[in-house]
Amino acid sequence: MEFGPILRALLRNKLGVILIAVQIAFTMTVIVNAVYIINQRGELMSRPSGTDEDNLFYIRSIGFGQNFNEEVTAADDLARLRQTPGIVDATVINTVPVSNSGSSSAFLLEPGELASSVPSAIYYADHGSLNTMGLELVAGVDFTEADVLIRESSSNANADTVIITQALAEQLFPEGAQAAIGQVVYTPSDQAVRIIGVVRQLQAPWPLWEDIENAAIFPEIVIDGASLYLIRTEPGEQDRLMPMVEEMLGASNEQRILRQLRTMADTREESYRIDSVMTRILSIVIATLVFITAMGIVGLAVFSINRRRRQIGTRRALGATQGSILRHFLVENAIISGMGVIVGAVLTVAFNMFLVQTFNMPRIGWYYIPTGMLALLLVGQLAVIGPSRAASRITPALATRSV
Amino acid sequence: MLKMTHISKVFRTDLVETQALRDISLDVAEGEFITITGPSGCGKTTFLNIAGLLETWTDGQYLLDGEDVSRLSDYQRAKLRNQKIGFIFQSFNLMPDLNLFDNVDVPLRYRGMKAAERKDRIDRALDSVGLLSRKKHLPSQLSGGQQQRVAIARALVGEPRFLLADEPTGNLDSNTAEGVMELLQSINAAGTTIIMVTHDPSLASRSARNIHFLDGYIADTDPNTVVGQLEAVS
Repeated sequence: MEFGPILRALLRNKLGVILIAVQIAFTMTVIVNAVYIINQRGELMSRPSGTDEDNLFYIRSIGFGQNFNEEVTAADDLARLRQTPGIVDATVINTVPVSNSGSSSAFLLEPGELASSVPSAIYYADHGSLNTMGLELVAGVDFTEADVLIRESSSNANADTVIITQALAEQLFPEGAQAAIGQVVYTPSDQAVRIIGVVRQLQAPWPLWEDIENAAIFPEIVIDGASLYLIRTEPGEQDRLMPMVEEMLGASNEQRILRQLRTMADTREESYRIDSVMTRILSIVIATLVFITAMGIVGLAVFSINRRRRQIGTRRALGATQGSILRHFLVENAIISGMGVIVGAVLTVAFNMFLVQTFNMPRIGWYYIPTGMLALLLVGQLAVIGPSRAASRITPALATRSV
Repeated sequence: MLKMTHISKVFRTDLVETQALRDISLDVAEGEFITITGPSGCGKTTFLNIAGLLETWTDGQYLLDGEDVSRLSDYQRAKLRNQKIGFIFQSFNLMPDLNLFDNVDVPLRYRGMKAAERKDRIDRALDSVGLLSRKKHLPSQLSGGQQQRVAIARALVGEPRFLLADEPTGNLDSNTAEGVMELLQSINAAGTTIIMVTHDPSLASRSARNIHFLDGYIADTDPNTVVGQLEAVS
């Protein structure tokens, strides 16, 4: 291995080496942090909501006629929906998970103890909500029809039972979900509610909320002029049933209009659109930077080889095999890239510290650094392999040519 | 040592075909010092390249040290060059970014020799050309004559069976050229076979045998006749 002489020769031609090493260092800094952000966004976007999203869609019914009775219409609509072949269940609900719109409140262990309150998203839905959303009950029982309170939106009356998520239960009662069953907790307005069930997961409607796993379902139908029906279908039946449901509900009552016929998948996509766009932009930045860096390495290698054709011929004359020449340039590039990624590792950490302090981002995982270093070294080696192969094919007879 | 029989070399492009060597047959005994002369373009360098396995030939047979080298792969030719042949070039062909020690080290690195043995050989080779004290210097810090001495050290460090020199004094003044020639003669006296291409009749006259090339042929192998002709031309 000619490591020593190659390194010493490189150090005598510092400028080109430093420029490429610096380029590699900056590329690594940007790429590693960008990949980290992409992965973070990816994790964010791929978190399950706890519902059977693939088979859920919803539609909003807005009454306008003078004789329109929302309570009667909702009961009628739910009955029709539940009887429709291909529909597993339906519920009337105030909002849907991941929709970026909904209500929040908090639960207290003792009335008035606001300091110890635990924040939570609030869903109001009828007794079919768990089955409709496909939620898994890990403790307690589901609502019955008798639990459901139908109230005007202006009313302060609330149901006295609630089903909460496991994450919320564990925050209120560290002993776990089972310990929460039968416990009475309080709303900020000191209303007592009894926990009758705990579901494994149900996300709040706001994807970026830090307490996204805290949610509670009250068995209530709120009469406010519009009913949102969340509908769960058998697998593969959604596309067929969506237009059918719209037509069926439209025909059943002409005192209302139907809006927002959408799938949960569409809602998720829209809610995470900014993250998705950012991921794509960062991916383009990464690809562009890698390409530019690879071209820089290729350029330096080609320049260096063209400048040293006679030297390569001389080395071949002195006994270098084609493999020796190939290895020479790969080692040379590995040294340059190695310098670049070492500096890049330092810059990556520094840049991440800046992001942590400025944008309150989490600290980068340690494994990103060696992975980034290896990736950039690999890019460098791949970039230089073509020029190196060309160099290895230089004839040894070039050593004796006068030009 | 070196036996060529009916060697010819044709360079072909899409448009042109150039006959560089025509039916060259030559026998070189171990320990000989042969000079090659001839006008520009007569095939001297092509002959040297073929003798040094730097280039392949079109027809004929070449035995080096009794081994038929006609069908060797590129890899085998490289290994054979490294082990048996030393090269001295007109322009010295030193690596400008390597110091003298690393320059002389180049052929030994390709031999896979251990560091301690390499160092010992390099020091001896540089000492033999009087440049050991300057082994950390770069070639650019040396005169032309000194650079050629480094090139000779590099050619000798692998202890080759024979040495090929392509106009080794071509870029040197007459005094320096004389020093290099004396060095080559002492190397030959120590038993190394040398084939040297030169334009200089006075240098050619100092070899035991001179081979004169004309238009790709060996025109004459009698030293007195050829040197006489060259002196008349010059």
